Amino acid sequence: MITPLPSGLQKTTNYKVVLPFYLYASISFIVATALLLVHTNITKAHHFNPHTLAITHILALGWGTMIILGASHQLLPVLVDGKLNSDVLAHLTFIFTAIGIPILVYAFYTFYTGWSMQIGAVFINIGVICYVLNVFSSSFSTPKRNVHAWFIITASIWLFSTVFLGLLLVFNFSYLLLPKDSLSYLSIHAHLGIVGWFLLLVIGVGSRLIPMFLISKYTNDRNLWIVFWLINLGLISFLLIKFFGLNNHAFYFSVASILIAICIFGIHCKRAYAVRIRRNVDEQMKTSLISVAQMLLPIVALIITLCFLPTNKFPNMILLYGFCIFFGWLTAIILGMTFKTLPFIVWNKVYHTKAQNAKTPAPKELFNETVYQFMLYSYLLGFIVFIIGIISLIDVILKIGAIVLFISAMLYVYNTSKVIFHKPQKTI
Amino acid sequence: MVKNIITNDIAKCNQALIGLYNVYDPEIGLNIIDLGLVYELNFDDDTKTVNCEMTLTTQFCPMGEAITGDTTQSLTNSFPEWTINVNLTFEPPWDYTKISPEGNEFLGR
Repeated sequence: MITPLPSGLQKTTNYKVVLPFYLYASISFIVATALLLVHTNITKAHHFNPHTLAITHILALGWGTMIILGASHQLLPVLVDGKLNSDVLAHLTFIFTAIGIPILVYAFYTFYTGWSMQIGAVFINIGVICYVLNVFSSSFSTPKRNVHAWFIITASIWLFSTVFLGLLLVFNFSYLLLPKDSLSYLSIHAHLGIVGWFLLLVIGVGSRLIPMFLISKYTNDRNLWIVFWLINLGLISFLLIKFFGLNNHAFYFSVASILIAICIFGIHCKRAYAVRIRRNVDEQMKTSLISVAQMLLPIVALIITLCFLPTNKFPNMILLYGFCIFFGWLTAIILGMTFKTLPFIVWNKVYHTKAQNAKTPAPKELFNETVYQFMLYSYLLGFIVFIIGIISLIDVILKIGAIVLFISAMLYVYNTSKVIFHKPQKTI
Repeated sequence: MVKNIITNDIAKCNQALIGLYNVYDPEIGLNIIDLGLVYELNFDDDTKTVNCEMTLTTQFCPMGEAITGDTTQSLTNSFPEWTINVNLTFEPPWDYTKISPEGNEFLGR
């Protein structure tokens, strides 16, 4: 007789909730790299142009946000020591954002600022509201919230702030709702998303997952609280500086605050790595650790931007800054963590009731490791070459960088599809 | 005690271990016995009940359900007519000192 599963177990999220996000994100990644390949000339234009806006939004929403939404639905039980409150809200999050993103991106691409852009933004806002409600109801259903839960709660608030401001900016194109034109609020909108949503969430999730996957017992909640407050301080001070129109030099305070936070997080990861139980670190964890180092690149670009901006010596530094964020640390951590989380989700779906009946493959055997390595090397090569292209503005270099990034995206899609559509062997 | 597992019946414990050596932590790729995840295996002949006390490498292990499910299934296969109770505990928490020499060798330690 088999008794029910033991108490004290983390209830895992239904795979049906999570997999659509991963699939959607992988398609977005290939679309974004294809657009980058077709429009490498954006490096010579002002950053507020239709193609740059379209590529940025498919990367930020379709790629980064969708995969993080999927992963965070899966990882909420791990982060908040509870369970995902509502599968329905999770499905609604996917449906609304999945419909809204292509509408918004196409509207940016054609720069039609009318109803389609507005509908796209409204759909995305509804999807994000569903997500925020789910995060709050899941987190506050347990009596106590740990530091990781506060990272995800706060990040979800910043995500809503980002998309809501985005909605206002979209309507501001047609109805002049705000005191200034939409371009004036672009850096606020961007940094709410980059720092408040992506950075806070990636660090909140990474600080739990990286030690967990390294099988390291290292933990330091005090340092993580410091990181949490420094990031929020950096963001809020940035918003205040923009609001009061202070001198550019005041931004150094915000930059320093976030730089210190990233350094402390880097030290946290290094210590977790040093006391890891598993000595052999797999490629996916190496990619994730590389992404932690890559967090410093945008900061370096930002400091240089602040030095150059007053005289406008090198306007492309803004593009370099954005590229280092979206194609740099964000893409790197997604590439690494996808193949740490996705195989487990699918393995649990396919094998958790069959593991004792026959020999089952390990989760890492659900994807092709050789393809993963080629993807990683092509990504790193494409990333470096494209950066050289942005700095040198040589067309051939930009095209080569974009082609290599596109190849890495194709390899990524191949491997994610291989995992998502995995079928058990017939002997099982 | 067998392989650091507290038991009241060494013979039955050894019988259970044959199956439990095939229960793996899917992430690490090491079986739960060499990982030291099983703390106690007790057998009640009167009620035909197996009580297994075990842990996970972390309380937040997303594979917890699969590992405990496999453990239950393995014990059911070894003792078909018996009631299987798998209880999860995090006291004491698992740490690397619980890994067997074979496990350490597997992990490259």
